[in-house]
Amino acid sequence: MKRFILPLIGVLAALGAAVSIARTYPRRQSTDPPAPPPVSDFPNTVAAVGLVEASTENISIGTPLSGVVAKVFVTAGQMVRAGDPLFELDMRHLRADLKVNQQALAVARARVEVAQAHVDDLKRQLEFAERIEDKRAISAEEVSHRRSVVETASAELDESRAQVDAAESQVGAVKTEIDRSTVRAPIDAEVLQVKLRAGEFATAAPTATPMILLGRSKPLHVRVDVDEHEAWRVGRDATAMGHLRGNADMKTPLRFVRFEPFVVPKKSLTGDSTERVDTRVLQVIYRVERDDLPLFVGQQLDVFIEARPERGGQVTLPSLQ
Amino acid sequence: MNFVALRMLTGDRAKYFGLVFAIAFCTFLLENQTSIFANILRRTASQILDVTDAEVWVMDPTTEYWEQTKPLKDTDLLRVRGVPGVRWAVRLYKGNPVARTETGKFAAAFLIGLDDATLAGAPRKMLLGSWERLQEPDSVVIDKAGYELLFPNEPLDLGRRLEMNDHRVIIVGISDASAPFVSLPVMHARYSEAVNFLGHERTELSFIIARAAPGLSPAELTARIQTQTGLRARTTEEFMWDCINYYLRHTGIPVNFGITIAVALLVGTVVAGQTFYLFTVENLKQFGALKAMGVTNTRLMGMILLQAFSVGTLGFSLGTGMAAAFFEITLRKMATRGIVLMWQCVGLTGACIFLVVIVASVLSIRRVFVLEPAAVFRG
Repeated sequence: MKRFILPLIGVLAALGAAVSIARTYPRRQSTDPPAPPPVSDFPNTVAAVGLVEASTENISIGTPLSGVVAKVFVTAGQMVRAGDPLFELDMRHLRADLKVNQQALAVARARVEVAQAHVDDLKRQLEFAERIEDKRAISAEEVSHRRSVVETASAELDESRAQVDAAESQVGAVKTEIDRSTVRAPIDAEVLQVKLRAGEFATAAPTATPMILLGRSKPLHVRVDVDEHEAWRVGRDATAMGHLRGNADMKTPLRFVRFEPFVVPKKSLTGDSTERVDTRVLQVIYRVERDDLPLFVGQQLDVFIEARPERGGQVTLPSLQ
Repeated sequence: MNFVALRMLTGDRAKYFGLVFAIAFCTFLLENQTSIFANILRRTASQILDVTDAEVWVMDPTTEYWEQTKPLKDTDLLRVRGVPGVRWAVRLYKGNPVARTETGKFAAAFLIGLDDATLAGAPRKMLLGSWERLQEPDSVVIDKAGYELLFPNEPLDLGRRLEMNDHRVIIVGISDASAPFVSLPVMHARYSEAVNFLGHERTELSFIIARAAPGLSPAELTARIQTQTGLRARTTEEFMWDCINYYLRHTGIPVNFGITIAVALLVGTVVAGQTFYLFTVENLKQFGALKAMGVTNTRLMGMILLQAFSVGTLGFSLGTGMAAAFFEITLRKMATRGIVLMWQCVGLTGACIFLVVIVASVLSIRRVFVLEPAAVFRG
């Protein structure tokens, strides 16, 4: 029996090894991504990234005057009509100016009355002198003098009237300034962003971040960046589909609106200004057809555009070595 | 006669054991060395194989292996998505940041950035926590080995803080990532955050991972992507072999292991072959006696081959058992995790062993064939 021990151990060892190998051999099981990535609905497609924007494009509201903001009338998300005030600047100095100018106007008007009275007085004197027919009582020179005095006074009356006009214009100018200190909505739109609070300084110059952003959010548009290498594949009126990030099943058909005729350098959508540009993109504007999606202006969409088929096998690969 | 052959074999206990264990150790040595070699090379592609969501990898045309990446342009992702036959494609970032703990301990790490929207490439084998929590801000998943490297002798715990590129990050999960070739911690984070953990570069898109549309093989898809975009596309398996081949060509590892394996092969086979040859030669007397009794040469050859086969099988089984036991033990060690006995190595070793045993028996058979029966009686 002894001589069977070693073969028996051998059999056991072989069995053990077989089990061990089968158990530990690395297996790679294919998995699906946790959230489904966007999948194109078209057999031939150009993929692109789109930025949702208002159908009026996003209007970054500017102010005609620089100054400290006194009051902001709107909050983000609010609908405004054309002409509704958005914010007003501090205008105490303008109101003071107005008062000064109004006083000046009153003074000018009073001056007109004074001048008028003066003219009337002189005219009466002239009339009186002219009515006297006895040449000995009044000399011809005296009459002529009184006549020219009346003319001078009349001219002074005209001047003071002109000064009233000038003062009125001054008042009007200050009123315009006051009016310009209140910034109003240019169109009916939704307030998309308010980056301005009472007490902050509003500059009458382009700013990096808009003070107030307006735009009509129904319907929404998508500005789709297409790599210039692929741009030729996108036809006019090509249909497209936009997929929401994070849930690619939420998608909306897109209707072609227009091409931006000017091809622009690709802007990194992360907004990092230090990125250097090495690609230019054709921008295509699409309209979002579904309005029941949780979609907001400024959001990114994965877009698939139905495309012309790729030319076959023409590109040669740069070799590795 | 076969019984006689086996009795002849086991008759001399010392020779029998010597023979079996020579073969067993030779087997053990060969299987051990080749398996470790194969597994260590496979580690160069650990991070690729761990991305089980991907079938196809797209990279810059000059990229040769995992470690060497030249970032792609952001629009390249869109171009790949536009290739017909691509079911989906998402981005994957790979970087090597330095992670620092609060105690000041630090280590360079592999950081893999997963597409924010899909988390494609998330480590599915988790030991603690969950990869779903990567959605939280400033979160990373780290592998167990990395955790133990950064927090030695401390229990696995979530919520610990690390610092990378002046960013505070929280460990939200501990994964069982396959060991990388260089034993650095393996971390996963979201793409948008991963790029911040390393400091901004101009372009950051290391890889695009993709899946072929149903009915299209990954290999066909890679060809299409290469044609249409001019980028380099590899299937997961091809990419793994790219890495392995790169290390084979550019490092001393194959030479090192090659020498060990060659010596193991030489010593093992010479010892086993020579022992068996001597065994037959020493038994020439018995064979002569059998020949004198009228046993044919064919019959004798059968006997010798039976002896060779029995001894070879037994030794090989024992050696493989030893190798399997060895790897079962080392599998549990952190440094040697994932290193297993591969059936390819067992097969190769088996082929070698049986070749050697057969060569040795053929050589000894020649001696038996030319043996004159009368020689036995001259002694």
